[in-house]
Amino acid sequence: MIPETKLHILQQLINTSSKEEIIWIHGYLNGLVSGQGTNGTSEIKKAVKKISILYGTETGNSKKLALQFTAAAKQHSLMAKCTAVEQYRNEDLTKEENLFIIISTQGEGEPPETAKKFYDYIHQSQTQLPNLKYSILALGDSSYPLFCKTGEDVDAQLQRLGATRILPVQNCDVDYEQPAETWFNRVFGLYATEQSQQAVVPQQTTKNGEAKKHVKKNIEGVITRSVNLNDKDSTRRTWHIEIRADEDLDYDAGDSIAIIPSNRHEVVERIIELGKADPNEYVQLSKSAGTIRDLLTNKLNICYLLGSAVKKYATVSGHEIPDIRMDLVDLLRIYPLKDETPFSEVLGLLHPIAPRLYSVSSSAKAEPREVHITVGLNGFLKQDEQHYGLCSSFLGDLPVGTPITFYVHRNRSFKLPDATRDIIMVGPGTGIAPFRAFLQERDVEAASGRNWLFFGERNFTSDFFYQTEIQQYHETGVLQRVNVAFSRDTEKKIYVQHKMKEHGKALFEWLENGAVFYVAGSKVPMSHEVEETLLGIISEHGRKSEDAAKEYLDHLKKEGRYQKDVY
Amino acid sequence: MADKQYTAVERIKLASDGLRGSLAASLTDELTGAIREDDQSLIKFHGMYQQDDRDRREERSEKKLEWLYSFMIRLRLPGGFMTGEQWLGMHHIAGEHATEVIKITTRQTIQLHGILKSHIKPTLRSFDTLKLDSIAACGDVNRNVTCSSHPMESAVHQQVFEYADKISLMALPKTRSYYENWLDKEPLLNKEEEIDPLYQDRYLPRKFKISIAIPPNNDVDVFSNDVALIAIVENNELKGFNIAAGGGLGTTHGSTVTYPRLATVLGFCDTEEKVLKAVYEIITIQRDHGDRTDRKQARLKYTIDRMGVENFKKELELRCGFQLEAPRPFEFTERIDHFGWNIGANGKWHYTAFVETGRVTDDKRASFKTAFYEIASTGKANFRFTANQNVIVSDVDEAEKSLIHEILARYGVIGVTEQSREMRKNAIACVAFNTCPLALAEAQRYLPTLITKLEPILEKHRVIDDAISIRMTGCPNGCGRPTLSEIGLIGTGYGKYNMHLGGDRNGLRLNRKYKENLEEPEILAVLDQLIGHYSVEREQGESFGDYVIRKNIV
Ligand code: SRM
Ligand SMILES: Cc1cc2nc3c(=O)[nH]c(=O)nc-3n(C[C@H](O)[C@H](O)[C@H](O)COP(=O)(O)OP(=O)(O)OC[C@H]3O[C@@H](n4cnc5c(N)ncnc54)[C@H](O)[C@@H]3O)c2cc1C
Ligand SMILES: Cc1cc2nc3c(=O)[nH]c(=O)nc-3n(C[C@H](O)[C@H](O)[C@H](O)COP(=O)(O)O)c2cc1C
Ligand code: SF4
Repeated sequence: MIPETKLHILQQLINTSSKEEIIWIHGYLNGLVSGQGTNGTSEIKKAVKKISILYGTETGNSKKLALQFTAAAKQHSLMAKCTAVEQYRNEDLTKEENLFIIISTQGEGEPPETAKKFYDYIHQSQTQLPNLKYSILALGDSSYPLFCKTGEDVDAQLQRLGATRILPVQNCDVDYEQPAETWFNRVFGLYATEQSQQAVVPQQTTKNGEAKKHVKKNIEGVITRSVNLNDKDSTRRTWHIEIRADEDLDYDAGDSIAIIPSNRHEVVERIIELGKADPNEYVQLSKSAGTIRDLLTNKLNICYLLGSAVKKYATVSGHEIPDIRMDLVDLLRIYPLKDETPFSEVLGLLHPIAPRLYSVSSSAKAEPREVHITVGLNGFLKQDEQHYGLCSSFLGDLPVGTPITFYVHRNRSFKLPDATRDIIMVGPGTGIAPFRAFLQERDVEAASGRNWLFFGERNFTSDFFYQTEIQQYHETGVLQRVNVAFSRDTEKKIYVQHKMKEHGKALFEWLENGAVFYVAGSKVPMSHEVEETLLGIISEHGRKSEDAAKEYLDHLKKEGRYQKDVY
Repeated sequence: MADKQYTAVERIKLASDGLRGSLAASLTDELTGAIREDDQSLIKFHGMYQQDDRDRREERSEKKLEWLYSFMIRLRLPGGFMTGEQWLGMHHIAGEHATEVIKITTRQTIQLHGILKSHIKPTLRSFDTLKLDSIAACGDVNRNVTCSSHPMESAVHQQVFEYADKISLMALPKTRSYYENWLDKEPLLNKEEEIDPLYQDRYLPRKFKISIAIPPNNDVDVFSNDVALIAIVENNELKGFNIAAGGGLGTTHGSTVTYPRLATVLGFCDTEEKVLKAVYEIITIQRDHGDRTDRKQARLKYTIDRMGVENFKKELELRCGFQLEAPRPFEFTERIDHFGWNIGANGKWHYTAFVETGRVTDDKRASFKTAFYEIASTGKANFRFTANQNVIVSDVDEAEKSLIHEILARYGVIGVTEQSREMRKNAIACVAFNTCPLALAEAQRYLPTLITKLEPILEKHRVIDDAISIRMTGCPNGCGRPTLSEIGLIGTGYGKYNMHLGGDRNGLRLNRKYKENLEEPEILAVLDQLIGHYSVEREQGESFGDYVIRKNIV
């Protein structure tokens, strides 16, 4: 007999496999036993020389794996073609025979921005893909409610279009190296020809200690400084928060840190009251355990529940509830539980509190044991009533001396270039954060490349984040150029993109000179308008047609000279 | 003097290309609300000072924000006169670009505070549309020319008043930089027209002030000026002016070489031509002989004492090409604003309103700003400002008097003016905190409270209706002319003041330092005691200032 674990894996494999697949597996195993290929495998072996690899990435992990996978595939004498999903011609899907997709999940279970077109295409397309064999490596982070959702969505759609799943979806948590390698090997296993039977993926990633970097490690720090950067009469609230750990921190400028906020005390108490729950009752859930009060305060998301959770609540409470997102406290208030329903059932349907990311605004090279963040209070209206985001208000309220837990979230596609290159940084609002880190780093390393910063906010006198530091960088020659836009100081609103346009000629010269262009801060509308303007500048000062300008920008992207840290 | 010995400011002036400096670049610098250091000296000549909110320095540094820089703009307003229309304009400008408050200064003009760098041009453009400017309101040139303010004082008031304007124009710098820098006017093609025979490219070694008084009222404190003109009026005819020179009050704590000085009467001139010529040449002597190596010795008062009054007078007559006549007799018997309604020699009515510390604004007690705004809107009155920081609603026809009166009453202006007691109404405090960079102690924000604490004492000693003059400044520069008061309080440190006593009530005698570094309790105790004695020991009609001198208290 085989051990539990292996049996478990086998069952999993079977449960997640289609009828054809099971038949195929059966044949394959047969072949392995009898030492000579079954029809199934020999079939592939004969057929396959070419495989296609698609990756969809936001912060570069999927890309990194895709490239490793491609390199390894070549060693397995496979003709592997690796393409970034945004570069892929969706119509070509019909021509594909062997497709391997490495894709991450972003937002609240959404595809990476670069993968949106592909993602929507396979959702809408009706063209069947009977000849397509595929497998998916899904990257994610189990601290988010919808773990590896995108990978699973893509898998579901390809199923719908009649493609053949030759290996089940492989989900990877933040420590994705090992599971990814297992998946690689299983793929190669399928295509293994006699001579290359034994070969497996070279363990390069673990050798050079790189892997260590990806272990999701919770770090305990203490808040040593917290100031509201906005002056008293400002319409904004933005905190500069300094966190100190008693170990050297392993992050690079451009990375973020992830923080899991606690829920508001008064809301938790109200929920306990409405749910007629015993706050001290100890409850064991699939992912976590603790007293009800502890779970509601520190583990479970009670704000703005996802539609799926609301649906489950409807069943638990036996109410008709429209398909909307709501706070748990409102659900309990408007759709009360039946007296007999135990509150633990409600706990069961809640997702974990999702981590929030904050771009580091300091450089470990300047202060190895410190990490700084720049947190803007997130405000929104709910029935025309002003409300504030959970984590940003949570962080803003933390007094100096409070211990705080965080982990580093790497961003491989938002990094400084070599010291000699010029950089252009567009970072209005909290978008300034990563650029403060960049400047600190370029300063300590006395980098020779020129630095150009665009900053924007509402009012000059109250909202000029890090003004005195920026002035100093300017005076000491670290910053060659700085342009600022304050939208509420003039009748006609002026934003960073207007400043870019105003200095378009110089900006294009910098690009021609090899400068890297960065944009950080709000995704919409800011980062889109900045891109529009950038295209405009390229076509105006580069005398290019609209299409030629787009090409120019794509080229920058390919070269890694157009990088975003937007949210 | 060899160039190397010149003060930095001298070098900046010379290199400024007609006061232009690098202003253009300073204004377009997006990173700061301040302007370049050298330009900070130059904008004074354009009527501006760079300041910052001193209350907010620490907090802003903590927030990584620079200090809250802003600009104070001072109008050039010879004789302190403004039409109702112009007041309306100022009202709006103060709201749009400044702190709302319209500050009446001790030299009869208006200051607006808290103007951000980006608002300077709009402000000056609006001034321009009102036919107002701030040229030479500050800087090492002739400042705003003051003149006894009250039209009721004399039949020749208008005539004398016009001298203020003539002198101001005569002593205006010729450079067009004000128009180019702030009003975006085209530069002159022919630079020749900018050649300035009076100021040349050096300007003066220091600020220069001219004032005209019409006896018997010395409301302008004429002797505190570099040049003091005393109108000589005989049976309602202007005969000419006695000319005095060398006044100035600024000193520096602990420096014996600085001192306050009253202008010395040199002689008399009859014709306008001669008067203007004499004034002009006094300026040229100061230009050529003033000390350009030490700003603390640069005022005319020191130049005269170095040259000796007689030599100075000789040099003046030489440059004028005529002799000064012997000074004519004159007498100052008061130095006050005649509050309330008065009819002028011209048959028009004038209401002098008491504006505490010269800050025209709306508060719980009264709405001066709204009142003046409504009055200005009627188009039935002009505005005049006094050297005691008060406002005269002026030139009202008999027929409109009740209309204006009703507005003044409705907004509490009359209430405040009539209910305030004598000491308060005759007090002066300088600006000091939070805008004045030189302030060591509070003044305008504190004197009113101090007086409130003094009033019971005055009451107790039954001298509450006695107009004892009290003046407070935040430092020894003397902006509130504290050395010309009966009780002068001069800031030495936060909450600390030197007490000066023994000035007369008409601005003819300087007071002397009595005690140093007093804090409020001591100030109150000292005054309680002295005024107590004064109330019983004073002679018939003897002022507190005269009393302390007679008793050798100082
Ligand atoms: C506004 C005003 C006081 C007030 O509350 O009314 C004033 C305010 C200032 N004076 Fe004055 N002076 C004002 C009348 C005076 C007077 C009284 C007078 O002229 O009748 C004097 C004493 C007479 C004299 O000039 O000797 C006076 C002697 C000074 C001095 C000392 C000059 C000296 O020779 O030592 C300074 C400092 C300096 O010039 O270095 C000064 C400097 C200043 C500055 C500009 C501070 C600075 O240099 O940065 C103050 C601005 C404060 C603020 O935030 O507004 N102010 N200053 C007066 C404006 C007059 C005007 O409209 O032009
Ligand atoms: C890579 C990256 C870097 C980032 N860097 C920074 C940074 O440097 N600085 C920074 O300030 N932020 C940064 N962010 C954003 C940050 O992670 C958070 O998204 C932000 O602080 C908001 O989180 P919150 O918990 O305060 O708001 P949340 O509580 O998560 O609310 C966010 C939004 O959800 C909606 N919402 C929430 N609750 C309700 C409700 N009950 N009813 C209706 N709508 C609701 C509202 O639209 C609200 O604005 C970054 C994000 C990413 C992805
Ligand atoms: C803003 C943000 C939201 C995320 N949301 C999810 C999520 O909903 N579900 C999930 O499994 N992972 C989520 N992740 C984790 C990423 O998928 C994970 O970091 C992955 O390694 C990123 O791969 P990439 O660099 O190729 O984009 C999120 C990450 C970020 C930055
Ligand atoms: S006296 Fe001193 S403190 Fe007062 S305004 Fe003049 S300079 Fe400032």
